[in-house]
Amino acid sequence: MRAFTTLTYRQIKRFSNARSRVVGSFVNPIIWLVFFGLGWSKVFNFPMAKQIFGGVDYLSFLAPGIVAMTIFSSSFISGISVIWDKQFGFLKEILVAPSSRKAAIVGRIVGDSLTSLLQGIIILLLTFTIAESLSPSGIPYVLFIGFILAVGFASFGVSLALKMTSMEGFQMVMSFLMLPLLFLSGAFYPISAMPSWMQILAHINPLTYAVDGSRYFLIGTSNFPIAMDIGILALLSLIFLGVALYLFERATID
Amino acid sequence: MENTIEVENLVKIFGDITAVKNVSFKIKKGEIFAFLGPNGAGKTTTINMLTTLVKPTEGNARVAGYDIRADPQKVREKIGIVFQDSSLDRDLTAYDNMLIHGRIYGYGGTALREKIGELLRFVELEKFKKKIVKTFSGGMARRLEIAKALLHEPEVLFLDEPTLGLDPQTRTRIWEYITQMKEEHEMTIFLTTHYMDEAEQFAERIAIIDHGEIIAKGTPDKLKKKVGSDVVYLTVANGKKKCVDAAFVKNCTFLPDERIELGVENAGEAIPRLFELAEQKHFKIVNVSYHKPTLNDVFLHLTGREIREERGDSFEMVRAVMRRRGR
Repeated sequence: MRAFTTLTYRQIKRFSNARSRVVGSFVNPIIWLVFFGLGWSKVFNFPMAKQIFGGVDYLSFLAPGIVAMTIFSSSFISGISVIWDKQFGFLKEILVAPSSRKAAIVGRIVGDSLTSLLQGIIILLLTFTIAESLSPSGIPYVLFIGFILAVGFASFGVSLALKMTSMEGFQMVMSFLMLPLLFLSGAFYPISAMPSWMQILAHINPLTYAVDGSRYFLIGTSNFPIAMDIGILALLSLIFLGVALYLFERATID
Repeated sequence: MENTIEVENLVKIFGDITAVKNVSFKIKKGEIFAFLGPNGAGKTTTINMLTTLVKPTEGNARVAGYDIRADPQKVREKIGIVFQDSSLDRDLTAYDNMLIHGRIYGYGGTALREKIGELLRFVELEKFKKKIVKTFSGGMARRLEIAKALLHEPEVLFLDEPTLGLDPQTRTRIWEYITQMKEEHEMTIFLTTHYMDEAEQFAERIAIIDHGEIIAKGTPDKLKKKVGSDVVYLTVANGKKKCVDAAFVKNCTFLPDERIELGVENAGEAIPRLFELAEQKHFKIVNVSYHKPTLNDVFLHLTGREIREERGDSFEMVRAVMRRRGR
């Protein structure tokens, strides 16, 4: 499948060519990890605190969440390049090509997922330097979960971008969704501590299962069984991927 | 001779605007065929339908032997397109743009690398192959676009305003590439333009399109015969709407700008006789001009408007040019 590998190559090449994007993508998670994480870890520095956070210190509790957040936000925003391509014409190049559109869009999503995953890896390694109870043997599993998450939200971003005409519009929808999805994912505080109406929302949030699954492999405790985390996350990602395929197959130029 | 493109009663309606009305034409293999018309006449919409980007509302067409409705995939394999605005990835190098295009069209390996080198040399961009396209001038980007469209050796090349917004020198170079490629590979070329001189010079046959309809088609010479051998424009005092009634005037049209258009055999002889006539019939000529008919005169003759006077679209055009330059 040449179209698949070509588009994967293109997305990775675009990412590595844009140095400011590479640097920028690390700033946000680092701010959360350092200013938010280090700050609260001092507040939760009393004997009972570890019980709230599944038996580990707050930074170790937070770390899997920050990794998932990094992958989530960078894969989501990668969809915006579809709008860019619409405006600057590269989309037409794909739409008039004889190759399979399905292969092209999956290639694109995989390419964006890989760059998001790379950012996740770097943040993950960084968390090991400041959080004390993370298990290194969990890293490959976390990357596996991270990849499923990235495919899901890159697909979501692509689908959204295919329906939108302006980058401002995309960014508006994104900033509207981003924080609620993060706060409802259990990345910052345990789901079990949320009011019940919030718990319901947390249960339908794909990010919840990525955070919970990562936590299982990094600190050994989780809210849901691990099979359920991976199963639900994979199912939701497949649905988003299906929607992206469906929309791209029908895409025309305006 | 076989036809590479056959278009039958193509219609495209967007909402309540009919962009293309019942357009039909045929293009022979190896021919350069031009769609000439003002901005917004339906040229790009027609190209978009023929290149399978937009589905026709009614009618059908065959391109390189395949039906655009039933076999869009096959059509896409046979065509190359230079869009009115860029289809390049501005954030990648010229070489990567070519590489990605080639691979999407199923090429790969050394054969592809050699072909890319050859085409970049052809459009004189070899030195710039490692440069990011964003840094290219409008002319360089267009040359790259042409090289890209030629990479998969298409049977039919679509060029939508290939020289829009370029300086005269670059325009000439681009036409050299196009005619050279056509001769070497016997490509069929469909182009749209609103530069009359280009259509006249390079197209073997022309269709003039206005408000979505083909209002005339034929060779440039045949089209110009519609106006006459020479054309005289006359402005008469008091704007009298009366035709000059004389044997040497072959046709006579009132233009909306008060001028009278006269088709004559020989303008040099006709003008003195017009003044004689003016004296006899007591009307006063306030302005007279004449020239050999151009396609612009044909357009003026058929529609009463100059081809370039479409005001509403000049903004669109500036936008397209700006976008293409990427600034």
